[in-house]
Formats: sequence, C-alpha cells, structure tokens
Amino acid sequence: MWKRFSSNIGAMVGVVLLLAVIVIAVIAPMLYPGGPWQMVQRPFLPPFAQDAYPFGTDTLGRNVAAQLAYGAQVSLLVGLVSTLVALLIGVPLGALAGFYGGMVDEGAMRFTEFFQTIPNFALAIVLVAIFQPNLTSIILAIAIVSWPPVARLVRAEVMSVRKREFVDAATLAGLSKPRILVTQVLPNTVSPIIVMASLMVATAILLESSLSFLGLGDPNAMSWGYMIGAARTVIRSAWWLSFFPGVAIIITVLALNLIGEGLNDALNPHLSRKGRA
Amino acid sequence: MNFLKTTTFLVAAALASPLAAQQEGGRLDIVVQPEPPGLMLGLVQNGPTQLVAGDIYEGLLRYDTDLNPMPGLAESWEISDDGLTYTFKLQEGVKWHDGEDFTADDVVFSADTFLRETHARLRASLAYVDTITAVDPLTVEFKLKEPFGPFISVFEAATMPMIPKHIYEGTDYATNEANATPIGTGPFKFNEWEKGSFIHLVKNEDYYVDGLPYLDEVYYRVIPDAASRAVAFETGEVDVLPGGSVENWDIPRLAEMEGVCTTGKGWEFFAPHAWMWLNNREGPTSNEKFRQAIMYAMDREFMKDVVWNGFGNVATGPVSSKTNFYSDDVTIYDHNPDKAKELLEEMGYDGEPVRLLPLPYGETWQRWAEAVRQNLTEVGINVEIDSTDVAGWNEKTANWDYDMAFTYLYQYGDPALGVSRNYTADRIEKGSPWNNVEGYENPSLDEKWAKAATLVKPEERQAAYDEIQKEIVDDVPVAWMMELEFPTIYRCNVKDLVTTAIGVNDGPRNAWIEE
Amino acid sequence: MDILIAILSRVAKAAVTLLAIAVLNFFLLHAAPGDPAVVLAGEAGAADEQMIAQLRERFGLDQPFYLQLGKYVWGIVQFDLGYSFRQGMPVSQLIAERLPATLLLTMTAFFISLGLGIWLGVAASARVGKASDSLLTTLALLFYATPLYWAALMAVLVFSVWLGWLPAFGFETVGADYTGMARILDIGRHLVLPAMTLGLFFMAVYMRMTRASMLEVSQLDFVKTAKAKGLGGAAIRRRHILRNAILPVVTLAGLQAGQLVGGAVLTETVFAWPGIGRLMFESLAARDYNTILGVFIVSAAMVILFNVITDIVYRIVDPRIGARA
Repeated sequence: MWKRFSSNIGAMVGVVLLLAVIVIAVIAPMLYPGGPWQMVQRPFLPPFAQDAYPFGTDTLGRNVAAQLAYGAQVSLLVGLVSTLVALLIGVPLGALAGFYGGMVDEGAMRFTEFFQTIPNFALAIVLVAIFQPNLTSIILAIAIVSWPPVARLVRAEVMSVRKREFVDAATLAGLSKPRILVTQVLPNTVSPIIVMASLMVATAILLESSLSFLGLGDPNAMSWGYMIGAARTVIRSAWWLSFFPGVAIIITVLALNLIGEGLNDALNPHLSRKGRA
Repeated sequence: MNFLKTTTFLVAAALASPLAAQQEGGRLDIVVQPEPPGLMLGLVQNGPTQLVAGDIYEGLLRYDTDLNPMPGLAESWEISDDGLTYTFKLQEGVKWHDGEDFTADDVVFSADTFLRETHARLRASLAYVDTITAVDPLTVEFKLKEPFGPFISVFEAATMPMIPKHIYEGTDYATNEANATPIGTGPFKFNEWEKGSFIHLVKNEDYYVDGLPYLDEVYYRVIPDAASRAVAFETGEVDVLPGGSVENWDIPRLAEMEGVCTTGKGWEFFAPHAWMWLNNREGPTSNEKFRQAIMYAMDREFMKDVVWNGFGNVATGPVSSKTNFYSDDVTIYDHNPDKAKELLEEMGYDGEPVRLLPLPYGETWQRWAEAVRQNLTEVGINVEIDSTDVAGWNEKTANWDYDMAFTYLYQYGDPALGVSRNYTADRIEKGSPWNNVEGYENPSLDEKWAKAATLVKPEERQAAYDEIQKEIVDDVPVAWMMELEFPTIYRCNVKDLVTTAIGVNDGPRNAWIEE
Repeated sequence: MDILIAILSRVAKAAVTLLAIAVLNFFLLHAAPGDPAVVLAGEAGAADEQMIAQLRERFGLDQPFYLQLGKYVWGIVQFDLGYSFRQGMPVSQLIAERLPATLLLTMTAFFISLGLGIWLGVAASARVGKASDSLLTTLALLFYATPLYWAALMAVLVFSVWLGWLPAFGFETVGADYTGMARILDIGRHLVLPAMTLGLFFMAVYMRMTRASMLEVSQLDFVKTAKAKGLGGAAIRRRHILRNAILPVVTLAGLQAGQLVGGAVLTETVFAWPGIGRLMFESLAARDYNTILGVFIVSAAMVILFNVITDIVYRIVDPRIGARA
C-alpha cells in the first residue's frame, strides 16, 4: 500500500509540502519568539526590502513572515480538530443507521438530510457569531456543518460490509450486535473514512479562513484568513499583505488534496472517484 | 429682552458667497456607509440616517463651524435675560414636500409630542422645558423650568428635526406608511430608495430660500466594502467620501489624486471623542493606579500616526478641544512604560487577565485594539481581545460585561449635552451603551457638573468646567484616547460642500458644481 | 395518481423541513448575546431605558419566548416571514428585492462552471497522459485549493485596478439610467468578475469529476462493444460515454446549486453585490432576527427546489431510469 502511495508523484509532493507547513508551524515560536503581533518595523515595508522581513510588514509594522508562521499553527489546528469532531458526530450516526436499518436509519438520515438542507456557510457564520468568535466556536461550527457527508459515507459502507459473510459468521459465533459493529464492521470502513478525512481537513482550513476573512476569526490567534481580511482594505497600496497568506492557504490545501487523492488511489484501487469532491 | 441681531448673519452669509459665481444643475454622488436603517429622522438618528435625511428634514437652527447658531427654519430668535424664554420667528412661505404649509403648530407637535416620545437624546434636554406654545402661526415660544446653558444648541436638524403634524398626528409613528417616503421641508425631496444600492434625492423646486439648492439631484451610494468605496471614488463613480467612509490608510493616496480636496471641517458639532471604558466596578480596572498605568503604557502618538494616519489629536481629557469650554490645564499622560510598571507594582498587579472589547466598526478599530494590547503587554498587563459584532458590543457594554471597551461618542457642542452624561452617577443605568458605562462615582463632581449646566454666563461656565476637567483627569475613569478626525474627501469642483458644523449632513443645501 | 401522491408527499416533507429549520434557527438566534432593541437604540446615538422598552415592545421582544416562537411559526405557516424592524419593511418584500440579484449571480456562475467544467473534463479525458491533460488537471487542483474570496480580491486587483477592464463592484452603473440592451450589457459587465470567482472553484470540481467519470465509463463493457462495432472515438464519446459519465456530475451539481444561493455571502460582500447573502450577513450584526430567519428559509427552500430539479434532470439524462416513483 505504501508502495502504491509513494509511487504517486502528486501524493509525494503533497506530503513534502504538508511536512514543510507542519515544521514551520512547530518552530514558529523559535523563529519568532516575539510572537506575530509585535510591531517591529515601519508599517507597509514592502517584501524583499530588508532581509529580516522577507515578506514585508503590515499596517502596524508587524512582521508578515512571523504572521504566516503562526498562521500555520491555527490553520492546521482548526483543520485537524474540527475534522476529528465531525468524525465523532458522523461516524457513530452513520454506523448506527447503516447497521441497524429500519427506524434508526430513517431517523438518522432525516436528521442528516435536515442539516444538508440548511445553507452550510450561512449556518457556520451564524454559529460563530452566536457563540462569539474564538477557536472553540470556530471548530464547533465547522464540525457541525461538515459531518453529514461523513454520516452518509459510513452508512453506505456499513450497509455493504454488513451483508458480507464474516458478519454472518460472527453472528453465528454468538457475538452481540454492538460488538460486531465495533469489532467487525467498522474496521472495514476505515480506509474510505481516512480518505474523506484528509479532504475534510483541507475544506476545514478553507472554511476557517473564510470565516476569519469576514471578521469572524479568533482575535487572539493569528490566522491566514484574518491576514487577508485585514489587508483587504489596503490591497491597492500593499498587495503583498493579501497575496502571501493566500498562497500559504493554497499550498496547504493543495497538499492535503494531493495526499487525499494519493490515499484514495492506494487504499481503494477499485473504488471509483465519484462521490468525492 | 435681549434681541439677537440675526441680520448680521445674513449679511455675513451674503458676503461669503459672491452671488454670480454659483452654477446651477448637476448631480452629486455621495457614499453612505452603512446603509441607513430608515430615513425618518424623528425615529432614527444614526450617522447614515443623519447624512441622508439632513437634506430632507430641517431644524429651527443651523450652526457654523464655530458652533454659532444661524437661521434655519427659524429666521430669527431671542433669549430672555433670565435664560428661561426662547422665542423663534419662523421663515415665511415654507412648505412641506407634499405642498402643505409649515407652521408653528408643526414645531409644537414635533418638539412637544413626537420627539418627546421617540428621541431619547432630545428628551434629556426637553426635561428642562416647561411649555412649548405657538404664539401665532409664525412664532414659537419655549419656556424653561430653570436655565439650561446649552439649550441654544439643541435645534440642529437631527437633534430636533421638524416633523409634519398633518401626517403623523394621531398615528402609530413607528409603523406610519409615510416613513418609507419621508416628507420634510428641506432642499431635497425623497425620490427613490433601491435597497442595497442607492438612495436618490431630487431638488425641491419650492425651497423657501430663493436660488437654493443649486444641485438637481443627489445620489447616496451604498457600497458595503471600504476598499470598493475607495475604488468608486478613484474611478469617478462617487464625488464625495464623507468622513469615515474609507479606511485611514487610503486617505493620503486619494488626497494626492488630481482635483481632489479634503477637509477636516464639518464635524465640530459632533467632535467625536474616542476612549476606552474601564470597568470601575470590578477587576484590576477598578483600581485607580491600574487605570493610570494604562494611560502611561499606551503610545497614543504612535497610534495616532500609524492607526489613524496622523489624523486627529491625542485627547487630554473628557472634553474635546473642539467643544465649548475645553481646558488643557490638566495632568498630561505621555508614553511612559516605566512609570506604568511602577504603578502596577505599587498596586500589586498579579497578572490577572483583562478583556479588551474593540469597537466592531472595521479594520482601523481592530488594529487600534491590537496596538493597545501590544502596548499593555509590554508593561506586563495580560490582555485578551474579546471579539464581537455590533450587537454583541452593544449588549456587553450596556450590561457592563467587559473590562476595557473601545467607544467613541459625539459631544454636540457642549459638555452638558455630550460629556457629563458619561461621568455623573445619575447616569449609571444598565441597558444603554452611551451613559456612565464605566460606573464612575464622584459625588462632589456630580454637583459641579449639575451646576455648570445651569449657569447662564459663558465665563462662569468656563471656570466651572476648567475645575471639573482638572479633577477628573487625575481619576482616569476612562482611558481617553483621541479626538477623532474624519476628513471629508471630495472633488475640488464641488464647492461650498462643508460650510456648517455638521458638514456633509446639510452640505448639499449650498453645494454647487463648477463646470 | 402515484405521481401526484409522490409530489404531495415531497412537498409535505419539504414544508416540515423548512419549519424545523425556522424553529432551530429561531432558538439559535435568540440564544445569541445581543438584543435588536439595544442595537437600534444604540445606533440612534443615545438610548435610555424608556426608548429600549418602547423598541422591545414594538418588536414583540417583551413577550415570553414561547409566544414569540408561536407567533413566528404561525406566520410562517401563512407564508408571512414577518417584519424587519431595522429596515422598516416586510421581510418577504426585502428578500424579493434582493433575491433576483443573488439568483442572477449564482445561476450564471453555476451554468458557466458546469458547462466549462464538463467541456474541459471531456477534453482532458480525451487526452489522458498528454501535456494538455496534465495542465488542465493541475489547474483544476489549484483552483480547487484557492479560497474564493482571495481569488475575488486578486481578480479585482488585476482586472479592475491594473487593467481597468471591468467594474470592481456593484450590480449596475447607478444613475446611468440605461434601458433595454444597454442595461443588460451594463449588468453583464458587472457580473463578470463575481460570477467568475464564484464559479472557479465549482468549475474545477466539475472538471475533475467529469474527467474521472469519463475514464471510468470508457472502461465499461458496453463501450468496448461499441468500439468493436466499429464506431469512431468521437461518436462513442458523444453518444455513449458522455451520457453515462455526466450523471454523477449533474447530481452533485444539482445538490450544490441550492447551497450556492446561501453560500454567496463572500462573493456578495467583496463585490458589493446586492443579494440576500449580504443581506443576511448585515442583518446578523444588528440581530434583525426576522430577516436572518427569512433568508435562511428562502435559501433552504432553494436547496430543496434544486434537489427536485436535479431529480427531474436525472431522469431525463439517465437512459436507464424510466419512471421511478
């Protein structure tokens, strides 16, 4: 499996890019001990003008390079945690629906459909505004709008696995239903979930940046979307303030998509690509 | 009886504008931001509404940039020597936009009935008023219970707008259908409001001042994004950017463009004053030393230069230097981090975090809060920015759920109208973000504020306010930041746009375009 | 008769869903800190308890929560979305004024992205392994990873600011009083940038899907049969593969089209487009409950509507499905 993955050039590019972003996020405090908010130079210093500030400074004279590095922390954190939370909601719901069928299925799917009918982004905005913008509310909002596809995927997988012979064998062996679900069925659905999760992290990072862009970010955590939102008003005179964070987002999201695709090809060589995106 | 010679004003006005020069016709595009919630000035008085409705509705008086009263709907006025009777002589031949006559009955209805019910700010001043009567169709008399020094300043259009009695009497004001198509006496009539895009006003052909207005039409353009507003001005889509409609960083660039003029005038009546509420009730901010430390920790000159791009002045105390009865004989808080650290040590500050609530009015305010956080962090104060939107900000300040909170308020020309409300104990009321939100209590000062408002002679009032300012600045009930300046940016061929203390709000009345 | 019942049950289900959305959001909004009366009073530049009390009474906020909810739901049942006190007009009227702009923007973006996406996807699948295919797939991957609002900003910078080709914002040239064709052209020019940035991401999605789907279908047996029968490459692509490959793309697109309506907030904000997304965002800060709820209900109704349309289109496109109840 690793062989298939590693022979995929796109996926390997993704891994390298993502590792780079992770490393930058981790060593940010060592590179810039003063933090991303410190005012270090005159405002609006263009990029490449001074070696110490390769990406220039922002409206208050803060180091854009430091902001980018700390922004990586927030993007990765929000992307990972919100995906985990979405999995925590979606996987059990989908598993129960697919495994038990009948009324449980009907109820769970109605519930999922309901959430898919509410306009996603609008709901996220309202949720963050209501709970007041901070990392927790942002993560929760993203998770709440992104779990339904997980539930649907898991349900479909569980339904197909449930009919296989080894499940019947387990039933005959006297295992209880919940036990079968957890020990026999779910492990067989892991690979599509992993693929979906890697793509969800990418989407979550985009969502977080969109919220921050609208001014619904955590004001105490520097994030890329926040940088672009803050720089929007000065885009005429200081293009670099919105350009570089945008590139950072693209690189990270692209890396995750490449990895997700590579995983998909490696884990599910027979599965078609539909149902994704 | 002490008659004011209003003729001098008329002569002065005539001299200021050589008659032959003005050209008639043309259209003015002005940015309005955000979109006003309504245009009925008697019901809504937020900034955008004042900007647009200031052309539709009028008050009895107008004010020049030194805050002297000028004739508006009243052609002359007199104040009795005891300061208790104000008599206004109305202009002749004034008609509402629907053709009805404007009379003294409208004035009485507006001030005594309509606005008493709907206009909170005016209500506070009307508390001093005993009776309002129509002596004859063109004469109105206000009788006061006790002298109220700033009373002559309450007749501005948005403070006491004239409301048509024949439309509103006996109706439910808030839901009156006419609110959607406002009827005033002003130089421009309401024509169309395309929600989300523009408000279109057209010339009032029957305006009671001969020859005015010069312009044929005015468009107020709704453009929700500050950068887009700047682009709109650059590309010539709009002619006027009223103060505050673009971010400060854009101002120098726009001002340098050819044929573009700027002015800081036209805000004297408002004199927007910015400060941070410091919660005097609890937490570290309840300690006077902590509050003083905040003042010393902040580099307000830097903030003025970088955040406000050099516009405005660092505030010295509660009264703006543009407002009447300002005094600079007070303790000056310069940037002195060592002194701040000393004060923190004296009080034994233990690093307890304080929350800072920025004003949710755009990037400038967000950056300002970030700069303050950085300054305070440098002297060892632990600050967290609390993020919120307009509704959340209102709720938190009104319910005292904050440690430090940015705000700015208008002063309306007089400390008794726009300053004392933030510092006297009788104005400590939950629910409003505009009164004594910080919870400052100083009984001896309360008495002085009350007395200063009822003095009649200006010299006496100045002395009283000098004393108050000196004393209150040492207590630091709030952290005074800046006297804000919101430059108006406009094309130089637009003439006589800003001639009064409320600037663009009633600017189109006299404005004209040079071909 | 069966069809009638099917339609009726679908409508009933949609109505229940919409009502549930209204109730859920009603709870959410009222749980939020912030009070519309305080905001409105605050905007007046001065506020006292009397004024706030008046406003609360006018908004009906002084009543118990269950009564407010009951009244709202009762209104919804009668197709009454309530009254916006901030804007001083009925919510339905407010939305009716703004909805056409949103529909114009989203539908333009939708059809352009779907058309271009499918076309490019087909083109790429026909050139698998060649340089042009790699270029297209790489571009699609990039667009796929680009934040929409950032693309919008960059487009404004390039096409409006530097090149000066297109207006940077707005719906039409205000006060120009264009009529007929001139007006349509004017709106069209304003539409280019927002529709382009909104459509970019989706174009990438549809292109990738079409390409993958084309490749997959071309491996299927009946295609091999067709080839064996001697049909040429282009004919096969058109007649057999595309028709089958397009199905998942159309399904996904249909599901997303509804979401687009509510998801245009970012584009509408950057381009000052007077649509309902911006209306909702602005109303949120003022806690204009009825307006926000109204936009939610209308957007959700759009989602449902597009699901139904998708279903119908699906039947037309899919040769295998006859009359599925």
